[in-house]
Amino acid sequence: MTEQIPIETLHPTIRMLSDEQIEAIHHASLDILSRTGIVMKNEVGRELLVDAGAWESEGRIKIPPHLVMDAIASASPRIPMFNRLGELTMPLEAGKVFFGPGSDCPFTIDSGTGQRRKATAEDVRRIAQLCDSLAQIDFTMSMGTPSDVPPLDHYLHSFISMIRGSVKPNVYTANNREDMEDIYRIACAVAGGQDELREKPFMLHYAEPISPLLYNDESVDKLLFCAEKGIPVTYPPSPNTGGGGPITLAGALALGNAESLVGLVLTQLVRPGTPFLYGMNTAALDMKSAIVSYGSPEWPLGMAACTDIARYYDLPVWGTAGATDSKVVDAQAGIEAAISIMSAFLTRCNLVHDVGYIEYGTTSSMEMLVVADEIIREVRYIMGGVEISERTLAREAIHRAKPGGGFLADDHTLDNWKWAQWRPELIDRMRYDRWVEKGRKDIATRANERARQILAEHQVPPLPEAAEEVIAEVLKEREDSAKRTT
Amino acid sequence: MDTKSHVLEQIASNLYKGEDDVVATLVQQSLDQGMAPAKILNGGLIAGMDEVGKDFKAGDLFVPEVLIAARAMHAGMNILRPLLAEGDVPSAGKYLIGTVQGDLHDIGKNLVKMMLEGAGFETIDLGTDVKPDAFVAAVREHQPQLIGMSALLTTTMPGMKATIEGLEEAGLRDTVKIMVGGAPVTAAFAEQIGADAYAPDAATAVDVARNLMGV
Repeated sequence: MTEQIPIETLHPTIRMLSDEQIEAIHHASLDILSRTGIVMKNEVGRELLVDAGAWESEGRIKIPPHLVMDAIASASPRIPMFNRLGELTMPLEAGKVFFGPGSDCPFTIDSGTGQRRKATAEDVRRIAQLCDSLAQIDFTMSMGTPSDVPPLDHYLHSFISMIRGSVKPNVYTANNREDMEDIYRIACAVAGGQDELREKPFMLHYAEPISPLLYNDESVDKLLFCAEKGIPVTYPPSPNTGGGGPITLAGALALGNAESLVGLVLTQLVRPGTPFLYGMNTAALDMKSAIVSYGSPEWPLGMAACTDIARYYDLPVWGTAGATDSKVVDAQAGIEAAISIMSAFLTRCNLVHDVGYIEYGTTSSMEMLVVADEIIREVRYIMGGVEISERTLAREAIHRAKPGGGFLADDHTLDNWKWAQWRPELIDRMRYDRWVEKGRKDIATRANERARQILAEHQVPPLPEAAEEVIAEVLKEREDSAKRTT
Repeated sequence: MDTKSHVLEQIASNLYKGEDDVVATLVQQSLDQGMAPAKILNGGLIAGMDEVGKDFKAGDLFVPEVLIAARAMHAGMNILRPLLAEGDVPSAGKYLIGTVQGDLHDIGKNLVKMMLEGAGFETIDLGTDVKPDAFVAAVREHQPQLIGMSALLTTTMPGMKATIEGLEEAGLRDTVKIMVGGAPVTAAFAEQIGADAYAPDAATAVDVARNLMGV
């Protein structure tokens, strides 16, 4: 018999925007850039744009559509990201979805006491260690602003703590060009040199303009540094509806798209092909509390739309999920994380950050990270779709089953149960009596126990000695310069 | 002696892993080397199944893993059974099991049965929708030490009480220990209808049965 071609499994996706809608947003964005214009505070950035064909009028830089289209054409549709051991673990490209935490929370929930307190450099390392162990977490971000180091050094210390705590690729933030240079020196020592770092980047820089339409000096400077050195970079604006962006999501998308594209244009003017991760943050500014809501449905809605736009441009895309406005890991946290993670997966957003944020991004929570890891695993199972094949149709098993007798002990069950069903790790399905016997623990308690166990047991390969030497040098130089200025 | 106990350990560990072919081969090899069938049964198959039961109860194993181990035990038993003399098989007890009148649910009851068999109980399965009279007649015929009744529906739970009353009327109540279980059944209900014990799940059912047997 001729061997038949297997039936392909449909893996569900969603689209939020039609082609017509995408083009309408694209045109609105081009109009914003060429008619409204931006405010550029960085002199090099201003010169780059004007020399390439932008013009200045009424204190704004106005950017013609062809500059934008050239930049889209020269950008890479994919950014292969490596871990710090040189293995390709995070190819940011069409169809792939990767998750990780967010950066720079002033507070953390102490995993020992359960109290909310200021974050430290050691917290950043510990959270990186936790992320290193969690299978569904693909990259690290600092998750903390270390309160126990000099304020001007906190990004530097965050970076050091992240790479000590995890081998996974990281997304890092920095204060200014000096930070960027010091971090670059350390990263080169980790990778084994500048060329090695360019060929196998294990870090991606996150900087952002200020919505609406303001390009501050230092953020552009950091962006340009990345383009000069070939460091992958993302530059997502935050046109949060009603705050940095119009109250309507369409307006926020048009504005955010325009703002993100300026970042793309700048990087491509410095060096065509600079790996640029397109995207924007589209939270809602809550009209009661005035917080930027990390659990708002506008964000996943905007992320899905933004991912559709990225696909239109053939650019890799940045997104957000797994965060909550709740102050504790509770049902609200679960709802907000599950909806956003599901959306991220369905849209195939490539790099999804802020997993594990609670309190609208002000506080980091190891428990939330552990819960989100389970949510991601479950959602991934759903994305697998339904395999239709001879082994899954189970014709023989159905044929031999005793009506009413069930399939529990059937060979088909015993041969296929391991892959045919999803199995929870953190989610509880115990019978009531056993749950009582085991201490009546809710998911936050179990997540806390799991996090603490990982911190006690999980080993991370140390940094190369050469990297630790460069770290010591950099920290010494910082100390010396602090002494000189005081 | 050392090699013999080594083989028994291998039988037990392969049974635990559900390697039915390996278990069958090892059982045959042991016989060929002159080991007594009862020794292979106790030291290999039942010892392995005890480990499975222990780990299932502790929550370390999944139901299919227990059933796969049981399948391996059957593979070994198929070779041993014709060779075992009367009295060689140390039955943990004779266990009559069924789903009560009006209830056609089979799956939970079957799981309990399989767990009991794995623990060395001899089971007699009356199936589903078992009327009180049928339980009474089967007790008279098989003279079990234990009866297990299952119900999935609240509407069929009274069938448990009716069966116990039937046994009392027939003068057989004191010859057996009665266990009840099933999703809507509780320990309080078991006590209320005069059953001897309640088990919340299949793994616990084995322990409860052993306790009732005084093992």
